[in-house]
Amino acid sequence: MIEVFTANRLAVLGFGIIVFFILFCWIGPIFYHTNQVQTALLSANQGPSLSHLLGTDNVGYDTLGRLMEGGQTSLIVGVAAAFLGTTFGVIWGAVAGYLGGLADAIMMRLVDALLAIPGLFLLLFLASVVTPSVPLMIFIIAVVAWLGPARLVRAETLTIRERDYVQAVRMMGGTGLRTITRHIIPNTVGTIVVNATFQVADAILILAYLSYLGLGVPPPASNWGEMLSGGVNYVFAGYWWLIWPAGFCIVATVVAFNFVGDALRDAFEVRLQRR
Amino acid sequence: MTRYLISRVLQALVVLLGVSIVVFAMLHILPGGPARAVLGPKATAVAIHTFESEYGLLKPLPVQYFDWLGQVFHGNLGFSYKLNQSVDALLAANLPRTLALVGTAAILAVMIALPLGVYQAVRRNKPDDYALTGASFLFYSMPTFLLGLIMILLFTTVLGWFPANGPTGEVPLWSQLSNMVLPIATLCLVTIALFSRYMRSATLENLVQDYVRTAQSKGVSPRRVLFVHVLRNALLPIVTLIGLSLPGILSGALVTESLFNYPGIGYLFWQAAQSEDFPVEIGVTLVVAVGVVMGSLLADILYAVLDPRVRYS
Repeated sequence: MIEVFTANRLAVLGFGIIVFFILFCWIGPIFYHTNQVQTALLSANQGPSLSHLLGTDNVGYDTLGRLMEGGQTSLIVGVAAAFLGTTFGVIWGAVAGYLGGLADAIMMRLVDALLAIPGLFLLLFLASVVTPSVPLMIFIIAVVAWLGPARLVRAETLTIRERDYVQAVRMMGGTGLRTITRHIIPNTVGTIVVNATFQVADAILILAYLSYLGLGVPPPASNWGEMLSGGVNYVFAGYWWLIWPAGFCIVATVVAFNFVGDALRDAFEVRLQRR
Repeated sequence: MTRYLISRVLQALVVLLGVSIVVFAMLHILPGGPARAVLGPKATAVAIHTFESEYGLLKPLPVQYFDWLGQVFHGNLGFSYKLNQSVDALLAANLPRTLALVGTAAILAVMIALPLGVYQAVRRNKPDDYALTGASFLFYSMPTFLLGLIMILLFTTVLGWFPANGPTGEVPLWSQLSNMVLPIATLCLVTIALFSRYMRSATLENLVQDYVRTAQSKGVSPRRVLFVHVLRNALLPIVTLIGLSLPGILSGALVTESLFNYPGIGYLFWQAAQSEDFPVEIGVTLVVAVGVVMGSLLADILYAVLDPRVRYS
């Protein structure tokens, strides 16, 4: 399985990019000190120079330093939302598939109904109801993210449930809880891991969309999407350092997670459709 | 066939029922409920109580649900107190414009992405396939507003071919076609990236099937194998996938409309979300969700018409 993964050069590249950004965001600030707390309006919108390698933004924050700070938020939100959404979705799907019958029908029709509402509409609605903070943002994205894994795991549970070893557990008096946690969920781990990888990429994009649409996490907290959408206002002023570095970070990270996801799918030999 | 159709339509109806419950629940998870949404955060307790008793909000929730559903069936989707217009009127003005945007972009995307996917599958693992796969990966992983921005920079700032702003709602769309080009192109590119990946893998999957080898060994020309045998089979799952991508395309339309100030329901929804105009948000959500359910129902019916295996099983 590991050979299949490493034989895929794109996957190794993707993995490398992810490691690079983790080092960049968390180790970077140790070597590149910047003030990301106080604004410095006198040195706003400056181009790249020796003191600000990637210039400053409209309130004087150092862009390179902010990429590191904002990247932490983007990556944390991406991973945490994918983790939360996947965990809930897996449990939901496994329980629905295991119970079957009316409970399954009701649980899955709820999933269908939520999936019928295009993700961004639901996200914007939720973001307009609450005042977003980073933990709430993770929660909101997870509210939309759990639907995919719930469907996938439920479909797999339906086949696993009929296998002999699951029947044997039942025969020996194993509880439903034990069957689900010890036998069904471990057997869907391939599907789950592959899907969770794509979810991280999606969550980073979603955070960028919400920030762009003005319903992200308010300043002084930052993320790549918020930086990019801030830079969009200066596109005609020619302040390229406010747009392309943040855009590059988002695209590179999302591409990297997609590469890794594709390779994991091949490695686990999971046949599933994205979304 | 009839049995399949009936069961599929019933399933869609159940999902629609679920959608209506979810949207109704959205009305009630609002902080302070619907009354607070209309009267604003500064309303007094007395005012809220008066409003609630006047609009039947003190009745039990199931009763309220059926009251609300009755209103929806009578075509009354609520009233925007922020814009002082009925949600129906807002939708009637904005929905056709979104349909024009999404429809044109989707049709163009299908016309470009399907041949592209087949081409990539035939040329698989050659430099041009890698380049096209890389490009679609890039478009797919890029926030739509960044892609739109690049289009503006290229076609407005550098080349000066098309205006950067979308059409206005004041005059009919067909009289401002040049303003439509960039929004349609942006949404179209994202959709092409999505569809061509599907089409490439669907074609690849069929190229290794036994029937292809049979056709080849019978002496059927490679061109005929590709365009008659493989293409017809590869197109089948694409019908379903296009139906399933409808929510994604509509999300893309929301971002595109907000970038270009395109006066459709995505833009309307975005404005409503920013000004906390909940009746508009909920009305648009309901309409969009019903559209998605209908779209996937249509795709499944089309699939059954095209594929006899579904029809007779």
